[in-house]
Amino acid sequence: MATGLNPNSGGLQAGTISPPGEVVPALAAMSVSKTFSGNRVLSDVSMTLEPGEIRMLLGGNGSGKSTFIKILSGYHHKDEGGEIRIGGVPLPDASAHGAHQLGARFVHQDLGLVEDSSILDNMFMTDKFPARFGTVDARQAKQRTNAALAEVGLDLNHRTLVRDLTAVQKTGVAIARAIGLSDEGSIRLLVLDEPTATLPAAEVEQLLTTVKRIANSGVAVIYVTHRFDEVFELPSKVTVLRGGIEVLTTDSSDLTRDDLVAHIVGSEVLEVVQEASGATFAKTVKPVLRVEGLETPLVSGLSFDVKPGEVLGFSGVTGSGRELINSAVFGATTRLGGSVNCDGMEIKPNRPDLAIRAGIAFVPADRKIHGGLMSLSARENISISGLNKFWKFPRINRKAESSDAIDWFERLAVQPLGAIAAVLGSFSGGNQQKVIMGKWMRLGPKVMLFEEPTQGVDVGAKAEIYRQFSEASAAGSALVISSADVDELVAVCHRVLVLRHGHIAEELTGADLTVVNVTRASLVTSNSDQTEGAGQ
Amino acid sequence: MSTTKRKINLGMARFSGLYVWGIFIIIFAIWVPKYFLTMATASSIASAQVVTGVMAFAVMIPLIAGVFDLSVGSSAIMGSIFSVSFQTQYHMNMWLSIVLTILIGLGIGLINGFVVVKLHVNSFIATLGMGSIVIALVTWECGGLQPLLPTSLTWGNLTQAFFGGGFQVGIFYLVALAFLLWWVLSFTPAGRYLFAIGSNSEAARLSGVSADFWIWSSLACSGFLAGFAGVLFSSQTGPSLSFGSGLLLPAFAAVFLGSTQLTPGRFNVWGTLLAIFVLATGVQGLQFVIQAPWLDGLFNGVALIAAVAFAVSRQRSEGKRKDIEQNKMVTIESPSSLDETPSVELNEALNHAAGSGAE
Repeated sequence: MATGLNPNSGGLQAGTISPPGEVVPALAAMSVSKTFSGNRVLSDVSMTLEPGEIRMLLGGNGSGKSTFIKILSGYHHKDEGGEIRIGGVPLPDASAHGAHQLGARFVHQDLGLVEDSSILDNMFMTDKFPARFGTVDARQAKQRTNAALAEVGLDLNHRTLVRDLTAVQKTGVAIARAIGLSDEGSIRLLVLDEPTATLPAAEVEQLLTTVKRIANSGVAVIYVTHRFDEVFELPSKVTVLRGGIEVLTTDSSDLTRDDLVAHIVGSEVLEVVQEASGATFAKTVKPVLRVEGLETPLVSGLSFDVKPGEVLGFSGVTGSGRELINSAVFGATTRLGGSVNCDGMEIKPNRPDLAIRAGIAFVPADRKIHGGLMSLSARENISISGLNKFWKFPRINRKAESSDAIDWFERLAVQPLGAIAAVLGSFSGGNQQKVIMGKWMRLGPKVMLFEEPTQGVDVGAKAEIYRQFSEASAAGSALVISSADVDELVAVCHRVLVLRHGHIAEELTGADLTVVNVTRASLVTSNSDQTEGAGQ
Repeated sequence: MSTTKRKINLGMARFSGLYVWGIFIIIFAIWVPKYFLTMATASSIASAQVVTGVMAFAVMIPLIAGVFDLSVGSSAIMGSIFSVSFQTQYHMNMWLSIVLTILIGLGIGLINGFVVVKLHVNSFIATLGMGSIVIALVTWECGGLQPLLPTSLTWGNLTQAFFGGGFQVGIFYLVALAFLLWWVLSFTPAGRYLFAIGSNSEAARLSGVSADFWIWSSLACSGFLAGFAGVLFSSQTGPSLSFGSGLLLPAFAAVFLGSTQLTPGRFNVWGTLLAIFVLATGVQGLQFVIQAPWLDGLFNGVALIAAVAFAVSRQRSEGKRKDIEQNKMVTIESPSSLDETPSVELNEALNHAAGSGAE
């Protein structure tokens, strides 16, 4: 429990412990920390929100923002020492019920709506249906649903099935469910965790209107996002977390995009990154990978090449066709047409084995589904693509195989060190990724294709992966990285190809290769938008 | 079996089959010493399990790659009928008949592979259907009558000749086969690839393993061994149009029970063999006590369900343990890591086999 001075325990009344006349903050978090078995993921983070204030919370993966929110929502215990008050009342530790009681509401990225049920049913699914004699009181349920929808500015029929709604409408319903069913004035804090991550750009505007409307009614809003545009569109303060530390809190009007990137990425990673991008490659050398006229279900007639040591990035929003390029080149997904040539070897479509033989490695996005043999040992995972090296009739030389695996564990600093006999599924996400890196790097590939290489790995492992990029590229491998993380691409790549609607919209290198340029190239559809990015 | 150090703390569970076997032997040795503690009993248990053993191996190979083969029973029936009818009806040389019969088994396996790999039919369905087709064709061929046995003694002696130590020669075929499979599965890339495919066929494919080729091969092996099992059965007890289906359940029971032994979580040769003999000893001992014809089926059915239930519960408890560890160790913000339970290939095999047709 928090060490409260609070004399009126359980009181929800604002102003119970403040001198009269002063506004009680909707949220007052003082030096909140969180340690997971000796690993401090959140250090002394403080945050105060006035009623009606919107706070943008930014940070890379592993920055601690999810942990912070999970502490607010009562999912995690916080470390001793910090204190959180909502509407002036101390928040009981690790109690979801407590947070709810104090008027804090949470809408997660996964909205938790049942697609095949109506809006009304979804409304009361997590709460209680209003009932009379054990039967749902339809009239009351309808009234309350409509009131909740009106509160967030949605004009929808309560009978509509959720699956028939647009993405932004679904988000709206989730918000209405979170705040609309409670009594007027009892909601103090609404936390939106990456509400726009899956929204089409055109619908974001609608959501921002809803958010403004809610803030105007006196509810404080914490808005977690990766999209920079929103930061500048909502009148708000911005807090940036990095590595569990609050690195910045300021008005969004005082910021440029470049400032934001610098704060989010941080100098350490930038250093690693500088190493990576600082590594030069011989520009006169012949390309090692040539792709011509690539056809996939989302891309047509795409051509590019990569030189040894070069790091090429693919950017583009979901649906732009970026997602399937690497996998189609490798043969993981269907290649409908075009040619792939690696170091003089023509590679047939849909034949990963031939691609590997030609010297191509592919690290897919989803380790669990495509990348790793979770029920086999790390050693078996590392050796699987190059077993022939250890096979000499009549048996696989297990001693050599093991020492090779131990070697890669050390080179890539896989934790726990030396646990080569443990099944891959028992390692943490970042370490699984390293094992998979080891599996490919031991083959000395000429080309390495990466799909979302740092998705879901912690910040330490991320820096480690960037280091491996620079190592691999220094060793002469050509790297092709497809990532939704623009900061990452700008940081590690020599050259970025931006995709839009299945075509390469822009090629950015050198000084032109900035987060702003990449983001604009991936979103802009007309020239008029050019001015917006230039304003920074 | 590739990593002996993998589960250090499971000594009790890993060898539980051996303990149970020991307990069975002691109980029946005390209970019915007159019948049970004889060389004849040991020998008869051994030779009675030769066909089951070969069938179990036939089932195990595709299971390692995550594929079911339910047609092995029918292929074995085919083997028992054809190996004899080639000799007595078509007057072929004995060895030629055997080779031809086993090749037909191989052919059935190859067709299974084609249906599963090329037509993308769920292996469960494909082999179930194929089994029915094979039985129909065999019945048609022999007109519903079991062919006459060859008159020469050599035919029966193939499996029933006494070899040494009072055991019939058949059991040595099984042991030799076990060693061969053990070598392939544990010491060659082929075995590694099969386990990789069983663990995650898509990941294996993306690692350069020709999943289709190996799944196809595993079904071919399975058909080959099932044909061989039929030949052995015919030599032991004569051709039969019905025995095969009855041996399917014991074969699966042995393989799944075997996967809880020695290297838990992996289908393995010695665990399978151990399971077969534990079950056979128990059944044989009880037969002496209460001569009941239904014991066999009861024992095998219970064993199959218990084995799978045990394997699943072990995985679940491991999954939970890991969740807790992950929560402690964390892996800062990776929500996905919380629901990553280590999946053992047994489970994968079931899932995969159940879902492979939908791909």
